[in-house]
Amino acid sequence: MAQQHGIIVLFDVENALRTRSLAGNTYWFDNMKLFGSTGEGTEHLVTIVPGTHFMDGSQATEQVLNWLPAALGAIPPTVPRNYLAEQERADDRRTLDQLASLNADGGVSDTDLKRLQKRVGKRARKPAGGRGLTAAKLLDVTGKTTSSAGAYNYPAPVITDITGPAVTEKIMYPAQYGSPDMIYDGWYWAATVDTSRPGEYPYTMHVQLHELIEQNDEMIWESVDLTCESTLKITTDPKRNGFTGAGLGLLPLPAVPATG
Amino acid sequence: MPPKTKQPERRPSRPVTITAVIDPVAALASENLDDSLYLYDTNKAAGSTGFGTPELHSRVTKGDTLLWNVIPLECETYAAITDIEIDPRVAEPTRKVYPGTDIVFWTAEVKQDLTEPLRYRISFLLGTVTTPFTPTARPALAGPADQAREGR
Repeated sequence: MAQQHGIIVLFDVENALRTRSLAGNTYWFDNMKLFGSTGEGTEHLVTIVPGTHFMDGSQATEQVLNWLPAALGAIPPTVPRNYLAEQERADDRRTLDQLASLNADGGVSDTDLKRLQKRVGKRARKPAGGRGLTAAKLLDVTGKTTSSAGAYNYPAPVITDITGPAVTEKIMYPAQYGSPDMIYDGWYWAATVDTSRPGEYPYTMHVQLHELIEQNDEMIWESVDLTCESTLKITTDPKRNGFTGAGLGLLPLPAVPATG
Repeated sequence: MPPKTKQPERRPSRPVTITAVIDPVAALASENLDDSLYLYDTNKAAGSTGFGTPELHSRVTKGDTLLWNVIPLECETYAAITDIEIDPRVAEPTRKVYPGTDIVFWTAEVKQDLTEPLRYRISFLLGTVTTPFTPTARPALAGPADQAREGR
């Protein structure tokens, strides 16, 4: 099997929430530029899916796609996804330690209190019945506690579905999988591709962004569902021997290995 | 959904983030970064241009906090900003890490409004190569544009 495709979608979350649209607010990448993908880094990515077939026309390889969403202007995905939770806990521990030492001193100054209050920060609730985000302390884009609704780190966009001609025409079979890999929150979307029918097939990605709104003195994550589109370009070539470039068959090895 | 009528006043409580998306494998293979660097920022609404190229022009105003970070397309290959060279009268970027990690970002405050685009040099360390990679094309900071402000 060929290497798996990684398709990375970078979302300009701020602009998307402002305009309530993903048009012009997504940037797509894959790892197949060398093989002929076009539109890298734009919203018009065409992902090449090079397939192979046997002499009788039957499919010789299957291709696997993986999609990884990321938010522009947020803490980058190289920082583990549980980072926010870890950071929140570490921050609370520090705050408690300092609170304890305040009592020991006996005297409490206003500045101390203010500093601690700032550290306590604010928590955002998820809407009733909502899913995806846990109620957690707000952190800013550098991982520090913040109480400002204008400074919070954007949560990673969540892919909720993949549809469109590439799916209805049974070119790819996307599904969401669970993974022990914490970097992508334990969930990711992947698909296998039928490469026996070459052509260009568009597909639609359904994405949920999260906006922090203030309601009755509470912070609430409101989900905003949007869609964006991309394209797969399927090609198929005869399966050949990677060493000789010719048809399948025995490798050109000498019958007796050379000595030494 | 109709656009919201009330736009919050644009206070830079969130930094203007300039994100470098890097294909480290391609850059290491070709030994240069020119075709493997895609720059973006979060200030498109203010009129930033050159998205997806190494020649991003970021619209900034005096007092803005800037934050540069990296998203590698291959997360198992090391990629980080090693230096940003810019006129110190405009900004003095400093290297920081996300607390509790060794993942680098750079940050600076814009000290004055710009009348003309100011180019700067940004260098990266990739993989285990000790010589920094610097793209030939230069990104720039640009001052506030009047027409861009009206557009919002």
